[in-house]
Amino acid sequence: MRVFEKKDGGIVQIINKEKMDDWPVELPLIFIEYIKNNQLKSYDDSKLRKEMENYLDEVLNEVAIPRLIEVLDSDKEEKILEALIRLEELSKKNIEQMEPIKPYLTKLSNLKNDTIQDLLEKISDRFSKEEKRKELLKKRKLMQQKEKEFLEGKISAEEYARIRKEYLLLRG
Amino acid sequence: MAKKNKNEYDLKAARELFKEYQVKRKESKKVTLPPDTIEVDDLSRTETLNRLYEVVDNLIEMIYATGRPTLELPSRTASNIIWDEENDLLLLGKQIIKKQFHSLASVADMTRLMRVAEVVHELLTKDKHSTLRDVFYQDVEIYGEQKNSDKSIEDIASMLYTTRNATHIIASAKGLCVGRLRIRDENNIIDLEKFGSGAWAITPMLDKVDIIESDAEFILVIEKEAAMRRISEDKFWKKFPSIILTAKGAADIATRMFLKRLNKELQLPVFSLVDSDPYGHYIHSVYLRGSKRLSYESPFLATPDIKLLGVLTKDLDTYNIPKKARLDMKPMDIKRTKELLKEDFVKKNKKWEQDLKLALQLKKKAEIQALSSHGLEFLSEEYLPEKLTTGDWI
Repeated sequence: MRVFEKKDGGIVQIINKEKMDDWPVELPLIFIEYIKNNQLKSYDDSKLRKEMENYLDEVLNEVAIPRLIEVLDSDKEEKILEALIRLEELSKKNIEQMEPIKPYLTKLSNLKNDTIQDLLEKISDRFSKEEKRKELLKKRKLMQQKEKEFLEGKISAEEYARIRKEYLLLRG
Repeated sequence: MAKKNKNEYDLKAARELFKEYQVKRKESKKVTLPPDTIEVDDLSRTETLNRLYEVVDNLIEMIYATGRPTLELPSRTASNIIWDEENDLLLLGKQIIKKQFHSLASVADMTRLMRVAEVVHELLTKDKHSTLRDVFYQDVEIYGEQKNSDKSIEDIASMLYTTRNATHIIASAKGLCVGRLRIRDENNIIDLEKFGSGAWAITPMLDKVDIIESDAEFILVIEKEAAMRRISEDKFWKKFPSIILTAKGAADIATRMFLKRLNKELQLPVFSLVDSDPYGHYIHSVYLRGSKRLSYESPFLATPDIKLLGVLTKDLDTYNIPKKARLDMKPMDIKRTKELLKEDFVKKNKKWEQDLKLALQLKKKAEIQALSSHGLEFLSEEYLPEKLTTGDWI
């Protein structure tokens, strides 16, 4: 177990990444998500949380992502399908975490398997929605800034209208 | 009883022990078994299959070479059971018994053994598990009675020099566990703090389980389910970072194996809370050094550093257990206490010996629930915290 010391003298122990070798391919990612979302916030110690987060990133980069890539990059359709079923589940909760495997998903679009294509489409939709959400967030910030500048007379009504139009079109 | 303000219980002694374990963790060394004992490995599925193939290959070679094949396995008779004082374990010695195919006397035994080998092969190949009962019902005519199939199963495991769980034949589990622990069971992550008023039922398929996260500082094993439920209801582990488990009476294999895993992987102090009677002390001893019947698996089942926290005979006076809650020892209790006093592992532990002698002198016993005579929360808010703070354990 990897041991992390708490400021009150206690410890938190997390499974060694080497022990995840026998796990189903998608499980390390689920594990990372679980600890990040459920356990980290229960520890009232920022140093401890930071150290745990660093370790989880280590698990992500050294175990979770490489193992997924290995399967998605292989020609074992059955294994790919198993992994995609779990990834599709995961994409509902945290699509951002799946960013590193995105290029490998694109490659799979050549496979002539309806279930795989269906899952890929669902995941791809979520990536698109996430991208849109991020862009919208950026535009909203810009809108607020421009609104302020417009009210202060720093920009013209035309420029404000153009930005407002872009924002509304994006929001749909 | 030392009356204290509840806030004074800082579990000082338990925490010191916890720190000792953390230091030991850094310098931890592999348990070395005495040279006159056999070494049993907890094998993976593939490794067990390979050992099975080796045994069968040897048999075939013997058939071709002499036409008189024999199987060799370690003897599990009392004379071949050795107490390893250094590691505090019951182990099997190197006496070997030979089972012959060509003898009329052993033909039934060999047939049963081969049938179990076939079942084990099927289970391992398909990565499935089966209970002792299932195995018996797969061929009632061959086994006759379940004790015969059970014996053949143990023979196969010892012949392969592995644990019974490694053969994927499992015993029904009855243990429960709650507390500051997160595990993986197949594809699911389970938080043992989130069972409401219930607890996680310990699975016998422990090869599918991994301990993934914990911030516990000690483990508490409780003999009685009722006492565990009492402590769970008070959310004892929230205040005192711990993992609590029970086998609901006698310690079954899965619970002992799970406890061993927790102890080995998390390296935390383990305490037991049992009835103050010879049966409770015996249960503690099974957690401590294993049972004679499964001595070949002891290194995977025993927790040699478990401490007997209570209920001790001396606690009856220390904690003012009312006279009406103290029960008279029956002749059988006296006999079993005397038997326990003859055991080497008790003789080696002076505090334990003293407490059992006191029980014989007073001829009194008490259940864990006797502590409730001071109130429902007494166990979780006074008795346990005080003992863990003062280090009053055996």
